[in-house]
Amino acid sequence: MRRFRFGVTARIVAVLVVLGVAVFPLYWMFVTALSSNSDLFADRPRLTPDLGQFGVFVDALAEGKAAGWLLNSLIIAVGTMVVSVGLGIPLGYALSRFSFGGKAVLTVVLLFTQMLPEALMVVPLFALFRRFELLDSLTGLILVNSAFVLPIVALILKGAIDGIPKELEEAARADGARPFTTLTRINVPLIAPSIAATAVIAFFHAWNEYVFAVTFIFNPDLQPASVGIANFIGELGTPIQTVMAVAFLFTLPAVAFYLLVQKYVVSGMTAGAVKG
Amino acid sequence: MTVVEQTGAPKTTPRARRRPSPLGSKWTPYLFLAPAALFIFVFQAVPLVQEVYLSFTRTRLLNPTKSEWVGLDNFNRIFGDPEFRHTLLITVVYVITCVVVAIGAGLGVALLLNRKFRGRGVARALVTVPWAAPGIAVALIATWMLNAQYGIVNRFLDAVGLGVPGGAILDSSRYALPAVLATTIWQLFPFTSVVLLSALQSVPQDLNEAATVDGAGRWATFRAVTWQVIKPTVGLLALLMTIWSLRRFELIWLMTKGGPVGATETLVIDLYSQAFDSKELGSAAAIGMVGVVISLIVIIGSRLVARAVEKEHAR
Repeated sequence: MRRFRFGVTARIVAVLVVLGVAVFPLYWMFVTALSSNSDLFADRPRLTPDLGQFGVFVDALAEGKAAGWLLNSLIIAVGTMVVSVGLGIPLGYALSRFSFGGKAVLTVVLLFTQMLPEALMVVPLFALFRRFELLDSLTGLILVNSAFVLPIVALILKGAIDGIPKELEEAARADGARPFTTLTRINVPLIAPSIAATAVIAFFHAWNEYVFAVTFIFNPDLQPASVGIANFIGELGTPIQTVMAVAFLFTLPAVAFYLLVQKYVVSGMTAGAVKG
Repeated sequence: MTVVEQTGAPKTTPRARRRPSPLGSKWTPYLFLAPAALFIFVFQAVPLVQEVYLSFTRTRLLNPTKSEWVGLDNFNRIFGDPEFRHTLLITVVYVITCVVVAIGAGLGVALLLNRKFRGRGVARALVTVPWAAPGIAVALIATWMLNAQYGIVNRFLDAVGLGVPGGAILDSSRYALPAVLATTIWQLFPFTSVVLLSALQSVPQDLNEAATVDGAGRWATFRAVTWQVIKPTVGLLALLMTIWSLRRFELIWLMTKGGPVGATETLVIDLYSQAFDSKELGSAAAIGMVGVVISLIVIIGSRLVARAVEKEHAR
């Protein structure tokens, strides 16, 4: 029995170590944001946040450009979410419920896009954007981010619709409902959790996106937070507390929302990849 | 009904649907998918084709409309370049380490969290935090933690007597790649562990118990029961990790820009610096194509393996 006890203790320690490793970097971001200069550069750094410094978050938003960056990120993210989910629902529905010529090709294409690095596509897209005058515009970023997240959104939603019994729709069809009506009235409410998950995925895909934003946006007033924060790296002018405060405000919503819909995100992502 | 307007071609459809056959007209699915397909065509297919074309040309960033067809010159040049071979080597090391360690660590964590204990839900949620964090923020906090003078990692390593001389981990050609790998895996292991955790749910407990009663050791039980159940999931994760690692850009770029002296230069980093630092769009595209072909080989190869395994089972 003694060995058993030891096993339990070891397991508790192991769980705590894993959690510590998982959470520490973000905790450290928070602590750094809330450190006074003397703590920061002391021989022994302070390991707990100095809550007296909380004003740094207010200052970070009030001064400088951080609030503007976050607002731009929000606009891009909401736009991407609306466009990609709006287009992903009908695409997922078509893939799930109909057999049509080119379906296999389309599925392969959707999976194929998952392996294309943004860095590869950025050059031809730059040329495309210049032609359509989409450089230096948030709309351009919304369009390109939507195109990149759309395949995974559609595959997840296809998987979700696959899980709904066809009989429900057939009953509605027998009553004369059109396919579009059955989609919006019957399928959409039933797959609401998956739609929420894809909305979160699409939102934070755009919220986090960096390569396109840094290449297509020149006007500093249109910069999203990903670019603004990336510019902090290696730059020495801004106090590290402000940098970490902005980064923390940028990170917090992503973590919070992912935790909320985590279950659906994970099952959706693997299902999309398996079934394709 | 913008769906109808945007497709153009099948104009008869609204009328045809008025007396719907059980599944509507044969054009119905195209109405649903047309807007999305158009989007993907314009923003993915067209640029990809252009990129393929660029890889056979000499094109400068400063004068991008003037491309000169050079056939396979770009490919011949990059494959003859020892630096590119080094890039390939770094890419392979980076990808394989990510796949193996992320899945290994994920499996360990999944097995740990699969047991019942108080607070398990909280533990499972907290463990996913790294995966949910934006890559930009991860790169930022990693560079700060690895800062030569004030970084907590150096202070810790110094305190336990393992300090890197000078402390500049990301500037050291020896330690930069391990540091970038550690950061990447820190971000990946929550995903693998959550996915494996859900796969573990379908491991029949009575089978596990039966094996234990029969006197099988832990390892034998794991191999005979658990491993058989999660094997397909591990395969899928290996594929996903490979593809994601081949295309990962911002984390590496923001931490090291591929340096020092190419120590962390993967294909995607090389491609980006070719395009925007050396301003050679042709070679950049060629490098990108090498990456795409590697991904394709991995995908097709894994499909073939999966099919062979399925056949084996069917027998």
